[in-house]
Amino acid sequence: MIPFLVRRALSSVPTLLGISVLTFAILNLLPNDPIQVWSGGGYYSAEAVEHLRSELRLEQSPAARYASWGLALLRGDLGRSMRDGRPVAAVIVSALPWTLLLNFCSVILIYGVAVPFGLFGASSPGSIADRLGRALLILLYAVPSFAAALLLQQWFAVRLGWLPLQGVPDRGATALGTTASLARHLLLPTICLALSGWALVARYARAAFRSALGREFLAVARAKGLSRLRASGHVVANTAVPFITLLATIVPGLAGGSVIVEQIFSLPGVGRLYLTSIEARDYPVVVGLTLLSAVLVLSGHLLVDVLYLVVDPRIRSGLLDERSDAA
Amino acid sequence: MQPESRPAIFVVLATALAGLLAPLLANDRPILARVGGHLTAPALAELPIVGRLFDDPSANLVDWGAAPAPLQTGAPRVLLMPPVPYSYRGIHLDEALRPPSRSHWMGTDALGRDLLARVLHGASLSLLVGFGATALALLIGFCLGALAVMRGGLLDLLIVRVVDVVACFPPFVLALAFMAALGRGGVWPMVAGIGLSRWTTIARYVRGEILRHRGGAVWISARAAGAGGVRLVVRHLLPLLAAPLAVLASFGVANAIVLESGLSFLGFGVSPPAPSWGSILAEARGSLDAAWWPVFFPSAALVIVLSSLCAAAESAAAGESRVTRS
Repeated sequence: MIPFLVRRALSSVPTLLGISVLTFAILNLLPNDPIQVWSGGGYYSAEAVEHLRSELRLEQSPAARYASWGLALLRGDLGRSMRDGRPVAAVIVSALPWTLLLNFCSVILIYGVAVPFGLFGASSPGSIADRLGRALLILLYAVPSFAAALLLQQWFAVRLGWLPLQGVPDRGATALGTTASLARHLLLPTICLALSGWALVARYARAAFRSALGREFLAVARAKGLSRLRASGHVVANTAVPFITLLATIVPGLAGGSVIVEQIFSLPGVGRLYLTSIEARDYPVVVGLTLLSAVLVLSGHLLVDVLYLVVDPRIRSGLLDERSDAA
Repeated sequence: MQPESRPAIFVVLATALAGLLAPLLANDRPILARVGGHLTAPALAELPIVGRLFDDPSANLVDWGAAPAPLQTGAPRVLLMPPVPYSYRGIHLDEALRPPSRSHWMGTDALGRDLLARVLHGASLSLLVGFGATALALLIGFCLGALAVMRGGLLDLLIVRVVDVVACFPPFVLALAFMAALGRGGVWPMVAGIGLSRWTTIARYVRGEILRHRGGAVWISARAAGAGGVRLVVRHLLPLLAAPLAVLASFGVANAIVLESGLSFLGFGVSPPAPSWGSILAEARGSLDAAWWPVFFPSAALVIVLSSLCAAAESAAAGESRVTRS
């Protein structure tokens, strides 16, 4: 199993290399370099521009900058932000908790709603409730996150005043108060991010449960006297594999969607950092974030492979057979 | 086409038509008028492509919003107004944030512009970008996917790597970067930017499917009949892939519309005052506490079009799996 994983991990190195080259190329194709953006088209003196250019090493060719960036990366150095001189890694790490928290909550919300929904639909397929539920989910799937954000903000923050409009929680006097404030601030962004995932996961869940419900092991379990609830536990265990795959397709989408959600709700996460860095032409931060998201996507694929091996003994033995065939 | 997908396709086509004819449906200039003794059609001059045929310099000088002039000979006379007699850019500050009423069916925005006119004009942009970007993505994806299989070897490896690289970028960021590089504010940079960032799924699918057909009955018989590589792909394999590609494409159009309106929402879209459903929503943020209609109607338009596209794709996919099973 280990050699397989090492091989898989090594095969993503050329991809990462390509991503860094493409990012550098696109950034250098963008009109206006950082200094032009900051100076708003020429309000800096010539000496100041000259000084900044040499300090940020913008007078070097893109190829030379890529080479020195690559050499620094081999030492584990992602460079410094052009805006405030902080190390790129520190800038990203300070934004990461928000995005991770938001995405984690969304995944919980997606699965927490969609799996019971799918189980219900599968246990009474074709019923009015099943069909209505599916239509509702398609409708929710079609609500773009920013439209949902505005509608929810208008209703729950402006009209009813139950939840804050946007922003980050204040540090409360007690830990409980801080947590409550955090939950109140994250509720709407989490819902907006979860909307598109519900339909996807619920459909998968429904299909998977339907095929599992017709299988013999369920009849056996029920015949042995297991309650409906205990039996559905077996159903869930037997359908775990497609859900894992689904997780790998959902998470990159969530990460992309959190750009817009973080922007609307003024959460200082990675998505917002991405947007402001592109705007300010903060090259090192953009490259760092792109590599980070690529590493996340690729390790998501890798993680799915590993989980397959862990969850499904059939795949594990299949892989081993394949290897012994090759050997 | 599946019968159950017809209403959804009808909704999308009707929206596209409404967007295309938006200058005739919502305009503060008349469809037909008489200026200085001859007939003129100022609203038609704003139509895309055919508009210049109706361009009339004398009509451009007339202030159609002014009170109708007394009936003297030669004074401009309105013969036929559009059903929504407001333009998407006609600012009337004394009419700001009027709720939906008989004269403004969707109400007005914070600058007093008629929302129905803006939503109608926004339809053309959203659907143009949606279909244009998807057509571009299909073209790139199909060509690269087919090329990878037909040429094979090093080129195949290279294309697969490029697909992996591009697929790793968040589409939102990639589209934004391409658009900025191509020149911000126009429609075509937007179409190109979104198209260039969304072709990877199609390329992967086409490559996989053509690989599946390689050496199969269709492949061998077409080759035996003397078909070259291009003919084999375009005449013999493309028809086999058309139905599943249509499913991918309708989801693609929906995704492209979401991307377009999202970019417009964040202010990276087409320059104002040209409306997009996303930019109308962005402007509605400012009056979130005062009015629900600037948020509700553009959102509803988006949801109706997007859910129709998804429903059409779903029933097409269901129909297709029925066909392959039987």
